[in-house]
Amino acid sequence: MQRAILAGIFSAGLLGYLGSFITTRKMSFLGDGIAHASLAGVAIALFFGWAPLPVAILFSAIIAVFIYFLENKANISSDSAIGIIFTSGMAVGILVLSFYPGYQPELITYLFGNILTINQANLFTIIFVSFFIFIFLLINYRKMVFITFDRNGAYLSGISVWKQDLLLYIFSAISIVVSIKLVGIILVSALLVIPSSIARIFAKSFKLFVLISFLTSIVLVFFGLLISYSLDLPSGATIIIFSTLIFALSSLFKKALNYFK
Amino acid sequence: MNIIEVKKLNFSYGDIPILEDVSFAIKKGDMVALIGPNGSGKTTLVKNIIGLLKPKSGEILINGEKADDYIDKIGYVPQRFEFDRNTPITLNEFLSLEKCGKDGHDCKNIDAYLEKVDLTAYKNKRLSSLSGGQFQRAMIARALLHEKEILIFDEPSTGIDLAGEKTVYDLISLANKENKVTCLIVSHDLSVVSSFTKKVICINKKIVCQGTPNKIINPKTLEKLYGVKIGLYHSH
Repeated sequence: MQRAILAGIFSAGLLGYLGSFITTRKMSFLGDGIAHASLAGVAIALFFGWAPLPVAILFSAIIAVFIYFLENKANISSDSAIGIIFTSGMAVGILVLSFYPGYQPELITYLFGNILTINQANLFTIIFVSFFIFIFLLINYRKMVFITFDRNGAYLSGISVWKQDLLLYIFSAISIVVSIKLVGIILVSALLVIPSSIARIFAKSFKLFVLISFLTSIVLVFFGLLISYSLDLPSGATIIIFSTLIFALSSLFKKALNYFK
Repeated sequence: MNIIEVKKLNFSYGDIPILEDVSFAIKKGDMVALIGPNGSGKTTLVKNIIGLLKPKSGEILINGEKADDYIDKIGYVPQRFEFDRNTPITLNEFLSLEKCGKDGHDCKNIDAYLEKVDLTAYKNKRLSSLSGGQFQRAMIARALLHEKEILIFDEPSTGIDLAGEKTVYDLISLANKENKVTCLIVSHDLSVVSSFTKKVICINKKIVCQGTPNKIINPKTLEKLYGVKIGLYHSH
């Protein structure tokens, strides 16, 4: 359980932080697309008997680069590019798994999430990757905010916008994949969207928005895990339902606050 | 001395030519208007100058150097500035996105510039609470704060009422006179062009005319540019 909570805190913090940028740039579908397409990476790893997480990380990074170039060089709209990769990745995953006989418990873990199956190697990978991405995000905070709100202004100020965008795609993909065991391929994008949606209700500045999104994500995952552990429920589904409940309560609280002002 | 030089510029979207053999120069400290009918290539020309689009052929020089080496000295205010209005970002945060000075330190004199454009009260308010005119003023403050040498406005008075429009143009004039900022304004408003600018460049894929507002703003030249008869009324 301690390992699960530690892994949960790191991946939740990462997704909460990235979610504030991804939702502001209206890129939420990217999270869904990458998570689903990463099934191919997991399936290939399982088929060859390799460790699924490192293979899925590498695979998701390649997918992110591919989506970026489809959007920017092939003049395909973002939702179409993600839609193509999303379904193709799932199709490859299903095809590879059809050659793999019998029941695959590991696959179910990746599809629906089960943080209690996180082993020492997974935990080390999650902490190492999170630490590395956090350093990049903190160093490039100002550049990322600038691009998020004023792409042309950022370009004119000398920022290499395409490089920052590409890195955001790659790091978002990796962050999503390291969180898959927490909530599963099907639900992981909710952790990009829900904490930032709660933060949007209360924050008065962008800095506060990012901070609230980061902290909220950690708190939601921590309590979601505790609930799932004590009631013996699936971790992913419990975290997401708990998060949605908190989002609904936050919205109601804000409405009530405005009403009585 | 010319701060912007465009030489034999050609640009096309696929096979459709948008700019053909466009050449002109803008002197340092000038206030210049770029006019032309819809679809004449005004915004495309501006985007070529600031490097957002790459010309098919021709050359653009800023301060005698390749434009790419000088882009950080150009401030650009687009026709429409779109951002997620539900996301909280304060005016102060927006103005601080770009670092100041050659060494890239935090901007220290935001307050002074906000006062200049009469937006002090909005410093910690959400960017989305600003009206169109206030936003244009904020963009001027940002350009001055970051010591831009060239300011390019793409139809700065779109969606702004008459009073707001006058304030914006007065501030652009002030930036031009006090801070010696060279201004290029894309506009449809001929009264603004004749009152505020020193030079007018007319474009309709090619350069149709260029000169002082007195020389350009007359029915004959405007008919040549827009392809319809245009009557002018002068207030006294």
